[in-house]
Amino acid sequence: MHDNRWRKTLPLVAGAAALALTLGGCTSGGSSSGGDRPLRMWSGSMTPITNNFNPFAVDTATHMTFGAIYEPLFFFNQLSADPPVGMIGDSYEFNDDGTVLTITIKPDLKWSDGEDLTAADVAFSLGYGSNHDPDMVSAEPTDDTTIVVTYSSAKFTATSLILGSTWIIPEHIWADIDGYMTETNPDPIGSGPYTLKSFTDAAYTLEANELFRDGPPEIAEVQDIGIDSNQSSEDLLKTGKLDWVGQFIANPDGVTANGRISTMNQQQDPTVIMTCADTSMGCSGAQTDPAVRQALNVAIDRSAIGKKAFAGLAGESSPSFALLPRDEKWLGDPSLATSPQQADAGSAQEILEKAGYTKGSDGFYGKDGVAIELDLFSPDGWTDYNDAAKLISAQAADAGIRVNARTVSEAEYWTPISTGEFQLALYGLTQSLVADPFSNYDQYFATTASAKVGEEPTKGQNYARYTNPLVDAAVKQAGATQDEAIKKTAYATIQTEIARDLPYIPVVLNASQSFFNTADFTGWPSEGDMYAAPLPYLSTASAVILTHLRPVKK
Amino acid sequence: MKFWLRRITFYVVTLWAAISLNFLLPRLLPGDPAAIMLGKLRRANGGRPLSEETIAAITSILGAEKGSTLWDQYLSYWGRLLQGDLGVSSTRYPAPVGELIASALPWTVTLVGAATVISFVLGIVAGAWVGWFRGTWVDQLVPITTFLQSIPYFWLALVLVAVFSVQLGLLPIIGGYDVFEFPAGPEWTPAFIASAFVHALLPAATIVISSVGGWLLGMRNMMVQTMAEDYVLTAEAKGLTRSRIRNAYAARNASIPSLAGFGIALGFVVAGSIVTEQVFSYPGLGKLMIQSVQGLDYALMQGVFLVITLTVLAANFLIDLLYGFIDPRVRRDG
Repeated sequence: MHDNRWRKTLPLVAGAAALALTLGGCTSGGSSSGGDRPLRMWSGSMTPITNNFNPFAVDTATHMTFGAIYEPLFFFNQLSADPPVGMIGDSYEFNDDGTVLTITIKPDLKWSDGEDLTAADVAFSLGYGSNHDPDMVSAEPTDDTTIVVTYSSAKFTATSLILGSTWIIPEHIWADIDGYMTETNPDPIGSGPYTLKSFTDAAYTLEANELFRDGPPEIAEVQDIGIDSNQSSEDLLKTGKLDWVGQFIANPDGVTANGRISTMNQQQDPTVIMTCADTSMGCSGAQTDPAVRQALNVAIDRSAIGKKAFAGLAGESSPSFALLPRDEKWLGDPSLATSPQQADAGSAQEILEKAGYTKGSDGFYGKDGVAIELDLFSPDGWTDYNDAAKLISAQAADAGIRVNARTVSEAEYWTPISTGEFQLALYGLTQSLVADPFSNYDQYFATTASAKVGEEPTKGQNYARYTNPLVDAAVKQAGATQDEAIKKTAYATIQTEIARDLPYIPVVLNASQSFFNTADFTGWPSEGDMYAAPLPYLSTASAVILTHLRPVKK
Repeated sequence: MKFWLRRITFYVVTLWAAISLNFLLPRLLPGDPAAIMLGKLRRANGGRPLSEETIAAITSILGAEKGSTLWDQYLSYWGRLLQGDLGVSSTRYPAPVGELIASALPWTVTLVGAATVISFVLGIVAGAWVGWFRGTWVDQLVPITTFLQSIPYFWLALVLVAVFSVQLGLLPIIGGYDVFEFPAGPEWTPAFIASAFVHALLPAATIVISSVGGWLLGMRNMMVQTMAEDYVLTAEAKGLTRSRIRNAYAARNASIPSLAGFGIALGFVVAGSIVTEQVFSYPGLGKLMIQSVQGLDYALMQGVFLVITLTVLAANFLIDLLYGFIDPRVRRDG
């Protein structure tokens, strides 16, 4: 049923793109037309690319392993609030208390080696390797297309994880594989639209899967290339060698000027000043006082940071940590839609003075003779973060708060973050993939997702070491229900608490720019039809886009 | 005989010290590779709890062998090394370090090796020439090449790419060969070799441009010094032709110190040219090195450093031998 939506919109998108193309006028190129050559993309791989198509190697397997070769049951479009689109799956249903999940899959599916893909494969996949949820009691195929999964606790909130990012693997191959973490799976057999044609450590090529359920995709070959610098990829785009990349380009006009390449910029995933927030968890430093965090929150000039450090491409982030406008209906208090965009040194000083801080002779605030001195670190070479940190330091100084911006190597960056031995760090939170901010609250704000300083959180990413019983109770309440009214009340509580306590001080919403060749290929997402985010490094979304694309006949 | 024994003992001790340092250095760096990989995995996994087997698998392969003493780690490091096992890369998990190095080495040796030889020959020939005609307009070559040498490496590479590849479209932008033409990888055909040659031109040019000045300056100064020697004066008095004096008497002797430098430079060829390889996505060893350091990939780091250490030592050893034969004064005791 969801598939129909694609089919209907496809000609529309294609038409719009074709029109845009005619109006824009065709250009030079020197490259051959789309029909007779592979689509060339850069999904962020650096050379040498590792010959690894193991879907359990989420960090080191090639990008196209996910989505193009192996598929999840459903596709959750992170840009829309629409229901998920069926891939292998056809429909799913939870029982009332969220412990029994019944999944039906599409009939007559095939693996790329010709074997049947049945409910038994799905049940096998859900119980195999790192897919196995400790709360899962059983996963039983009841017939060829139905699987019943039973859990010991409510799983409403894990829906997108179970259905949207569990890669379904063939039982007849993986049943014999013991070391699922060391397997490199060089001849992957999947259900997705593409199969592996050839591999080298500089690039690898996929070809259309003849047995794909909707018929082989129209783009017969896709080549994913290893590139080590953004500049090279920008140059390759300009010279017509590359068709699709997702990367930061400060001046996109230089790339799109030739009329071949179009660009889009989606804003998501907030960049924050992460604070080690709670003394009860072992944090130390002036930032453990909420007043200092609140003062810092109003002291920084977000519009200047967005313009100068993020080249004007970033969006305004919300202290509610809901992604707006996608999550509009979950925003309890409209005043929490965006963080203050201008610096207000006066309010910052007022907050500090009310909390008992006094200004020293050097112009900086302190308490009981101890001046506030905070260390804000970011990974060396992440220039947007490094610049933002410098601006924050200067803006905080204007309000009388001493913040030292410091850069460290990437290796030195991850260690204090995972152990909690830091004061302030620039950090990027990962947005929830569905139109519901639950995973943000559960992952970053709940006490269960945290750990004492010195230990690494294992069940979440609350690296701020934030703990608040009101938030914990509300997260628990929201996770155990599908009742929207109850969820909304719970979220409102969470939002009020975290916007006041500010364990993560929102800075901007990150830009994610994509560039794609509309001269040789049509069917890309457009502002009017965001059927998937056009970023080649997003696993399922990139595969969905590949199946929508068609070569332009010239 | 005593001379050779002393040299060989020296090299064995140096080798041992280098390999031991190689073991120690990464362990003195901050951060734990297993923790880094687990952190990245957790993020990539959408916050799904990692299973105990996963954590165990990663810590057993990448972990800094928690609980065991440094001495035990050192012994097992030697044990694996002697079996030719360089371990598993964490940034390119689970690729064996040996394989990564083996596929990167030929590219680096060919590119940087050829560039070093070209730069040396160019520098020596031009240096001899500039030295011979000192005081004329050719002296301008010295500040020009010195200036080229002072240009930041990556900037030079970016400018060359912008001009020759993007603007003029003459030369490729990335890679060791055309990945679009040869999607199945390297093959022994004339077309492939031509492609590899064309892809090496710009990276080689950056290396040559930025290093030729050093050779030129050294050679020129030695040339000027040699020309004041008595035997050059004698040669002139004998009425030999100018070109014979220049080539056989002055340039030949002036180039000896440069030859020693050349031997050392050749030893460092294997270390690659980090910046060049990074800018051009060239599949060489220098890039593996920078990636391993950034990703705190102990095994890869050690593997790369080991290869570099071995080649530098080998190159020095060969030069030592060569000098021993050429110049008897070197062999004399004490």
